[in-house]
Amino acid sequence: MKVLANFFHQIGGMFLFARQVKRTWLCTLGSNTPLVIEQVGSVGLRSISTVCFAGFFVGAILVIQLQLMLAQYDASAMLGGLNTSACIREVGPLIISFLLAGKVGAYTTAELGTMRVTEQIDAIRCLGTNPLQYLVVPRFVAIVVSSLLLLVFGLLIGLFGSMVVASWLYNINPLQYLQSVPRFCGGWTVFCGVAKSAVYGTIVASVSTYKGYNASGGAKGVGVAVTECAVYTNLLIVFANTFMSILLDGMHEIFTMVVG
Amino acid sequence: MALKFYLLNPLIAFLLGAREVGFIFFKTLMTCLKGPHRIREVIQYMYSIGVGSLPIITISTAFAGFVVTSELAHQMDTALHTVEMLPGFSGQFVFRELGIVIPALLLVSKVGAATTAEVGSMKVTEQIDALRLLQIDPIEYLVYPRFVASIIVITCLTLISIFVTLVVAIAVAVLKYNFAVLEYTNALTHFVANKDLVCALVKGMVFGAVVPVISCYYGFNCSGGAEGVGNATTNSVVTSTIIVIILDFVLTFAFSLVL
Repeated sequence: MKVLANFFHQIGGMFLFARQVKRTWLCTLGSNTPLVIEQVGSVGLRSISTVCFAGFFVGAILVIQLQLMLAQYDASAMLGGLNTSACIREVGPLIISFLLAGKVGAYTTAELGTMRVTEQIDAIRCLGTNPLQYLVVPRFVAIVVSSLLLLVFGLLIGLFGSMVVASWLYNINPLQYLQSVPRFCGGWTVFCGVAKSAVYGTIVASVSTYKGYNASGGAKGVGVAVTECAVYTNLLIVFANTFMSILLDGMHEIFTMVVG
Repeated sequence: MALKFYLLNPLIAFLLGAREVGFIFFKTLMTCLKGPHRIREVIQYMYSIGVGSLPIITISTAFAGFVVTSELAHQMDTALHTVEMLPGFSGQFVFRELGIVIPALLLVSKVGAATTAEVGSMKVTEQIDALRLLQIDPIEYLVYPRFVASIIVITCLTLISIFVTLVVAIAVAVLKYNFAVLEYTNALTHFVANKDLVCALVKGMVFGAVVPVISCYYGFNCSGGAEGVGNATTNSVVTSTIIVIILDFVLTFAFSLVL
């Protein structure tokens, strides 16, 4: 019971913090663009190689699994479409954002947490600067933007990786593979993937900045905050995954009803 | 010059790191050959890894099972205009991939990060040197118990998560797509064999063996105070995640050839 209460306490704190960050961001819109661009660059460049790696292998694993299943039905012609659809809509964003939670989230928490426990944040406030505006808002915006970019990039690499593996291991012509893609992936699939990526990026950003900004208890406290950040991010991403799937399915049904 | 900086140096660093990881792994295996000892530590780590991770793994795999089953049904609907093959497909997917990778990735970020942070702060506060002075082998004292505990515990957690995911998948199929429970389990027996369970357990054991070794390696090699521990933790989580994904690919491919 206590665990559950603590969990909801944390979630609530996180939402309040994110709202405060949003308000600060809106109040100071445009004034810290250079900081944001710098952060986008550093977050993106730091993680791009990892994301490429993960994207490639996620696509590759999915190809092997789906090929095993589809071969039983003699339906290898559909491999490209099904694989791309599964990769973009579901598995790709989930696994790559797990990775981003470990990489970007943990780094941001550790950075902000170290600043907090060494009282640098208090020093910034003493100097008359709003630490939310100077430290948190650029990171928050940068994580949202760059994880969206990274996830989209990772998904593209995943598509490429699955094509390579399909042609290498199962002798499926890359052109034939690509031809079956549009049958299953329309604009809606891509929209689902991008929407999910945006939500996951926001989750990574809000959890990591909240946990880092509110770290306490010295070096050990920073370690605890980093671990908790990873755990909460992953949990929330799994929750959001379910929620987004239901929501997007509902939207799709309404959409088709209206159009058709 | 640029080539050397961007390509050669990281490559050399990677190879040196891989050698060190291999060394730790080898020494841990040698310690295992000595027979069971340090039972108390092993049980303590089994408790902290297993019981601590049980709620998060149960909840997340349940949600993941729900989503993937609906997703497979959706895809089947667009591809084949029927969902009658849902039981076989989702069962197979749960046994071969989903029930194994999701808990492994969660454990990496929970257990791996905690291990690196703990060992790393021991390293920067010179407690590991103190252990050496006391003639205690740090690998035997720190790595070996975690290694044994995490192999046992992750194998069990894989089983639990497969079970949970399967129950949720059955629930979705029954409630949303009007399958009968028996219909589902029947299809399951056609599509999933004992060998799939063996694959799952082997994968779980491999992931369980890899995570503590890598996170302890990063812990042993961190320097530079609290900030160093933070960096080491991040690197450890990222490396373990990537290695789990790559190993998953390799093992999936190997099993698809063998079975």
